[in-house]
Amino acid sequence: MNYNRNDYGRQILGRVRRDEFIGRTAELERLVSHARESSVEGRETQGLLILLTPLAGVSELLRQTFDSLFSRREEVVPIYFALPPDETTAVSAAIEFLNTFLLQYISYRRDEPSLCRASLALNDLVKLAPAADVVWIEELVEAYNRQRFGEDDRELVRFCLTAPDRVPSADVRPFVMFDAVQLANYSDSSIPLAIEIVRALRSGGNPFVLAGLRREVLDAVTRAGCNTDALEVMRLDQLGDEDARSLISATARRQQVSITDETRDLLVQQLEGSPFFITSFLQAAGEKRLALDSYLACERLYVDELMGGRVNRHFSSVLEHLAPEPETRASVIRLLCEATPEGKRTTHFESWRRRLKLDSAAVEQLLRLLHIQELINCDGEKIDITGGSTLWQDYLKSRFRLDAMREPRALVVADVMADALKRAPQTIAHHYRRAASLPLRELLGKFNSQLVPRCLFDFAEFAPAYKGAPAEEAAAGLDADTNLVRLPQVFHAASGVSFGSALRPFGEESSVVAHAFSGGVYTNQNEIVWLVARVESKLEANAALVEKWLNLLTGVARKSGLVNTQIWLIANEGFAPEANDLLRSHNAFGSSRQQFDILTDRLSTGERQRSDTDNEFQLIFPMGADNEMLAASAVEQVARRLNFTAEAINQIKTAVIEACINASEHSLSPDRKIYQRFQVENDRLSITISSRGILPINFGANSQGEEEATAGESQTSDDRRGWGLKLIQTLMDEVEFERVDEGTSLRMTKYLRQSS
Amino acid sequence: MGESVKSNVRSHCVGTTAVVYASDYLNKLTGERIERECKKQLDSGARALVIDFSDTELVNSIGISILLGIIDIAEKGGALVVFSDVNSETVQLFEMLGLTRHVVLAANEQEALSNLSTSPPQSQAIGH
Repeated sequence: MNYNRNDYGRQILGRVRRDEFIGRTAELERLVSHARESSVEGRETQGLLILLTPLAGVSELLRQTFDSLFSRREEVVPIYFALPPDETTAVSAAIEFLNTFLLQYISYRRDEPSLCRASLALNDLVKLAPAADVVWIEELVEAYNRQRFGEDDRELVRFCLTAPDRVPSADVRPFVMFDAVQLANYSDSSIPLAIEIVRALRSGGNPFVLAGLRREVLDAVTRAGCNTDALEVMRLDQLGDEDARSLISATARRQQVSITDETRDLLVQQLEGSPFFITSFLQAAGEKRLALDSYLACERLYVDELMGGRVNRHFSSVLEHLAPEPETRASVIRLLCEATPEGKRTTHFESWRRRLKLDSAAVEQLLRLLHIQELINCDGEKIDITGGSTLWQDYLKSRFRLDAMREPRALVVADVMADALKRAPQTIAHHYRRAASLPLRELLGKFNSQLVPRCLFDFAEFAPAYKGAPAEEAAAGLDADTNLVRLPQVFHAASGVSFGSALRPFGEESSVVAHAFSGGVYTNQNEIVWLVARVESKLEANAALVEKWLNLLTGVARKSGLVNTQIWLIANEGFAPEANDLLRSHNAFGSSRQQFDILTDRLSTGERQRSDTDNEFQLIFPMGADNEMLAASAVEQVARRLNFTAEAINQIKTAVIEACINASEHSLSPDRKIYQRFQVENDRLSITISSRGILPINFGANSQGEEEATAGESQTSDDRRGWGLKLIQTLMDEVEFERVDEGTSLRMTKYLRQSS
Repeated sequence: MGESVKSNVRSHCVGTTAVVYASDYLNKLTGERIERECKKQLDSGARALVIDFSDTELVNSIGISILLGIIDIAEKGGALVVFSDVNSETVQLFEMLGLTRHVVLAANEQEALSNLSTSPPQSQAIGH
């Protein structure tokens, strides 16, 4: 034994030390616990797919997982196998897998990490097998030797890929991590390697991870006839800004490259948070002993990398794999660089087939590979060529000018560098603007039929009461506000720029067009589009500015054919009196930054509260037979524990009874059940009564103002029915219809402080 | 003064006044039983109804709508309606839905009966 059992940081396959592995800590922990939990005896075997955005990087994550599991010395035997990047065959890849599997297995069983890096033939491995494993390993190698000389290559591939299934399940369980990022390289093999890999992993009884480009992995899983519901999924995107900054700083330290805060932030944006580009770039800087302490130094290296460094080699190899013939490659570059005569970046399959002079199957294969790499988006007929990172676009342009236009290399280098330098401050400015901008889209995305104080959308009403007030005071006042507005349920929110070029000069983040349904029911009448914009003004926005924005947004709505709209403007300091009048005359909302922040906070708090289930009780009971009394009794017990007064308890019970009656009467419930949920907090009791079923079309459409009539106003007996909601609203402090796909869900809250 | 418990609704008559007792939970089922009993009493010649809520803990909106139906029927027949011994929470509900505008409330059955003995029948009171 040559290791310290307490040392979980052994670096075996990892290329960086554990403490230098940045940005994927949560994913690493998830993979380790996935391996350990799935390997528990009797637990259902779990497969995990890692769906990767191109260049997001997964190999180091898997290697770190291997190291972590190896160091733990538990019953999980980690196996990491990456498909070789160089062009090869399915058979050679499968044999390589068998060899790697045995090497790493024996290495683990002997607890000799250095074996993992050895190059040993299968017969040598048999000699190294520990006594407990020697029998099955010998049998495996003998069987392989027989299979190797058979006629059936596909059978051989299957034999190799299923080798982990031959491990006797007594003591240990292999955990195979299959890094299939290079899978696309094998797509021209006569054996469908992707499908064989998926089938081999799924058919075995061992937990596994299959990682690869998201489009390819999903496609392979589907083609293998695999039920994706039985698989866990992890999505890996580029690093976020914070993690990318940390990775750049750590890698620069390791490579002894000097950077500044400014150049670090530039690289985060320019390298688009890709771990591959970041490490490649800083390795190049380290090798050349460059200091990246100015934009100029960064862009000089950027162009070097683009024209002849690692970045160039990466994209060149992608292109060479896509189109091995130089002539085809040149045509592909031309097709990807040239816009159509109409200036559009969308072309059609037929035009590609004509230009490439290839048969349909070859064009299809080429487009499929481009699509997998997310360099284009292709639906079989239409081809959108706007895909790929900025680096890819820069690479493509330079290749186009060099290869197709045959421009002098020096000129292309100078131009690319000039463009990069001009773009650098813009990239950073865009980033800072985005960081400082209001998260309009995020907030609109949270609109989900909540009730909020109406004054949060009306600066003229809000300002006299709350402008400049301490947050707690404003919150208390707004909590007691009974003039509420129900937000719509937003189902799609996009930058206003996507809807109208007139909004482009203000930046992508300045406006949002949000499609929604109001009233919680999906009908034509309830469809509404919110047009939201941030108005730049250091002081209260004046009428002229408001008028300009109203015209802009109205114009966008008209051009896009949006009929039922709600305009909402947000200005940091709110709006001047005449601007408020203008907003009101257009039925538009206007809020200050303070209102916006309060609204954001309230909607986030609502989400947090809903996700907290520690103090939650649930009761399910059949409709009818006075069962609402059971619900009332249950809520009474809960309310007593919270020390509500007898009067308040009676009010809560009555409200619960009414809600149960509503649920029974208003839905064509298939299961005839009422679902009651109590959420207990220090100062309140929230009760949700819900049922399944289809609602009458207008149910809840006017829950604010409906049922205002009281007894005796020429009502028939039928008219008098349906007072339940009015009663509930009067008896409880907050009442809210929650949007559900079918049936009703009514959430009622009673505050302790107001009752006692 | 005979007492009836048919259809699970207790009632009895004091002269031309019928006293009907509501159950602990006034909902659709028990409300319809009271309605039926009240109609029967009115058909039998009762000139006033006392509905006693001394056992009633909870009333739901359907129960309230049925009570309004009873008030309608009584008004059309020229009979008076008094609710007795209504707990404060139920009074609050009646007020919310405007019921108290159409009915007299009494602290208990005795007070209801004594109120009725001093009040003229409704048809006379409104000049018919």
